[in-house]
Amino acid sequence: MHVSMVELKACLRRCFEASGYFVGNYEDAANMILWLEKHGLNGLAELNRTLPYIYQDQDKEGSTIIYEDSTAAVIDSHNRSALNCIAAAVDLAHAKALENGIATVTVHNCHNRMFVLKALTDCGRRGVSVVAYWKNGTDSITEYTAAIKAGHRYPSFHEGRTNMSSDSTHKQTLTIICSSRVDLTSSLQHAKTNVNGNSMNAQQVELNKEKSVEFGIEIDEALWRQINRIGEGVLVESSQQSRMGAG
Amino acid sequence: MTTTAAISAALHGDNALPIRPVDQVMDLERLGAMHQSRLSFMRTLVRCIMRERWQIEPQMFELDEQGYGTVIYKVQTPNRRYSFVIFSDYLDSDKRNDRVIAEQWDLTMALVDGDVDQEYLERLRSNVPKQEAGRVDSKVFVLSRANRSARNFDYVVDQLAAGKQPCIEKIAEVGYLYRTTAVYGSGKLGMADWEKVHSHFTDFNRPFSAEMFVCFMLRSFSLIQAEHIAKQRSPETYKPMQKSIKRFFGIGNSTGLGMAPYLINHPLLINRWIEMRELALARVRVLGVIDENIENRVRELLHRVQQYTAQTVTEDALQTSNNQQLFEDLTHLKHHIEDGIDSWSELLALSETKYSLQTQEMLVSIMLELYPELVDELEDHLVVEESLDIDPLMPLKTLKTVIETRYKWALSYDFSQPASRETFWYRSEEKMEPRLGQASIELGKDRQMALGVAYAVRKCYDQLCEYTAVNPVHHTARFLTQQPKLRGIVRRIQSMSLSTYGDIQANLLDINVLPMHLLRCKLAFFGVGKFDPRSKLWVRNTMFQGAPLLEDIGHRYTDDWFMPLTPVTEHLQEK
Repeated sequence: MHVSMVELKACLRRCFEASGYFVGNYEDAANMILWLEKHGLNGLAELNRTLPYIYQDQDKEGSTIIYEDSTAAVIDSHNRSALNCIAAAVDLAHAKALENGIATVTVHNCHNRMFVLKALTDCGRRGVSVVAYWKNGTDSITEYTAAIKAGHRYPSFHEGRTNMSSDSTHKQTLTIICSSRVDLTSSLQHAKTNVNGNSMNAQQVELNKEKSVEFGIEIDEALWRQINRIGEGVLVESSQQSRMGAG
Repeated sequence: MTTTAAISAALHGDNALPIRPVDQVMDLERLGAMHQSRLSFMRTLVRCIMRERWQIEPQMFELDEQGYGTVIYKVQTPNRRYSFVIFSDYLDSDKRNDRVIAEQWDLTMALVDGDVDQEYLERLRSNVPKQEAGRVDSKVFVLSRANRSARNFDYVVDQLAAGKQPCIEKIAEVGYLYRTTAVYGSGKLGMADWEKVHSHFTDFNRPFSAEMFVCFMLRSFSLIQAEHIAKQRSPETYKPMQKSIKRFFGIGNSTGLGMAPYLINHPLLINRWIEMRELALARVRVLGVIDENIENRVRELLHRVQQYTAQTVTEDALQTSNNQQLFEDLTHLKHHIEDGIDSWSELLALSETKYSLQTQEMLVSIMLELYPELVDELEDHLVVEESLDIDPLMPLKTLKTVIETRYKWALSYDFSQPASRETFWYRSEEKMEPRLGQASIELGKDRQMALGVAYAVRKCYDQLCEYTAVNPVHHTARFLTQQPKLRGIVRRIQSMSLSTYGDIQANLLDINVLPMHLLRCKLAFFGVGKFDPRSKLWVRNTMFQGAPLLEDIGHRYTDDWFMPLTPVTEHLQEK
């Protein structure tokens, strides 16, 4: 079915608010999903994979910084979704880059890392260049990287399925490199292990956005019903008394 | 043409104009005392229509003798063509309800990009009359509905059918034939997002201009429909309504709590609107030449406003008292300027010591009215990109200072008192209608909307103090990795501290909060008049009263429908 971007965002905000996300976090989560979908990067498909787990994060430990120096930090997100923790990690990298020119933040135990692209794009808009790298899968690994230059509005994105298998060090990790001095770009090395690559440059990302602005967004009806149903958790039952508070 | 750089220089720095201070301007009660002005969105829209001579003609006019059917107006601007589609359906009077929970209306409408062919019309017909229960696509960018004024509509039709004109005194009581009960734009129900409206439809790229246009068209249609029915009923005796009376008809509007969350959730936009109004005032104070013509114009406007106030009908005790005080203050003000005006700043200062807030803000609107050359161009700067950003490198010491200075007002409330958090704002399961609850007697506080900015600032400040005692050199990003619950309010504090006026200064959770002030503030920016509060939660008002008619487009236009008075009758009854 067809929806506009703003009503999708409002619906997602209610959905995450009802799922225990804090003020500030539920806006971030909605914006991250919408950003991916709006720019042709399948935010709703990623959301569909996330939905069965979204209630669980409210019982998990918050992100902890397990190592930090002036240009680097390592964060353990305790198996949280990127939807509620990755923006803070990117902010930390952003701050360190502003202080020291370049910084690296590594996030462990973080799911749905694709959602980092919105936070990364915000950094680019604000004059800081960022690269992100992560990989997924167990039997065969898929690698991902995204990058944005300082002052730009759209990132590039690359995905490459490989023949490599995961090793014991693979911990749902995301690496963020951020610089206020160096313009960073990224691409996956075309090593012989890389097969079936998928790339989108900044111009293609922008064209996808223009199409979404022009025509809105298509969403699977069942998914739309599901996020609306979850979002009903923020609504208050109507009563004789409550009707007196209506304007 | 004023540039963004010129506006920035006028607001900030060594060469800034003397804008009014934030604590004065952003006080909720003062915001609730605002009136329409030259920068109100209706005025801006009509200036554009008249200046560019938009061509607005019926393309389809299929109404039966009772006025039911379908009408499509073709709207041709210098930039683009649009269609305004109206469905007029029979509505049982028992089902006529102005609240958001209603499901049927007398009229439903859509503003559409481009032409509407038969197939698309059928799609609209299947969805537009259902409003929230329907879906449209991104060719549509406003949906609205309206109900007849039971008191006025039949009376006006009867009069016209009998060859008589409506009685002016009766119209002065209720100055409209229809009330619009919702005007949806910017992405609701599958419509085009604001991002598309702003970038593709340059005719409507100012705030709410498409929504205002639909109300303007509704007003035009209401008059045409009333004449159509009267003519069908009695073609021998029918006479059309006189233009001066037509212009005095506006469109009614009922506004409830829905507007209040908008003001809190779009703080940068509201800041921008206030900035432009205050900048206009500062320009007038410094650059506005005072000569005999201006003094005469002020006297004329003061007289007009006083008459307008006397003609405003409301049963609300507080509004009646405010109107009476305004009337008395205006008498005093007229007397005070009998010998001339020395300085606008002095007059404004006098008003702040002697007159009510309503009078002070009315004087501001009058001052803006006098100098279109200083004011009108600011209408092009009412849009702002609404992104609140974390400043990750801001030292916590700085963040603390920002709160202590820019949010001193928020820290002044004693939130240990239950009354300070007794009110909660929530969405009802009935069509997500926004409502106010009382925490001590109602359930639902756990699901309240995050509109308690002052309380959130207080909690943030307290936790920040605790944190900085242990980690004095940390910056904001480090703090937020440990305190993710504060992400939203820190982002708001940092972003709004960079704006001139920042947040509306009020505790919206207080037991005595008056939402009416929020509604009135936004409605004043829209440009409505004849405020008639029906409770502390909703208000009736009139839009476009005194504005030009469709047939006035292309003719001389003076842009002088500020606070319109009842037309002079000239024995209209028998004409």
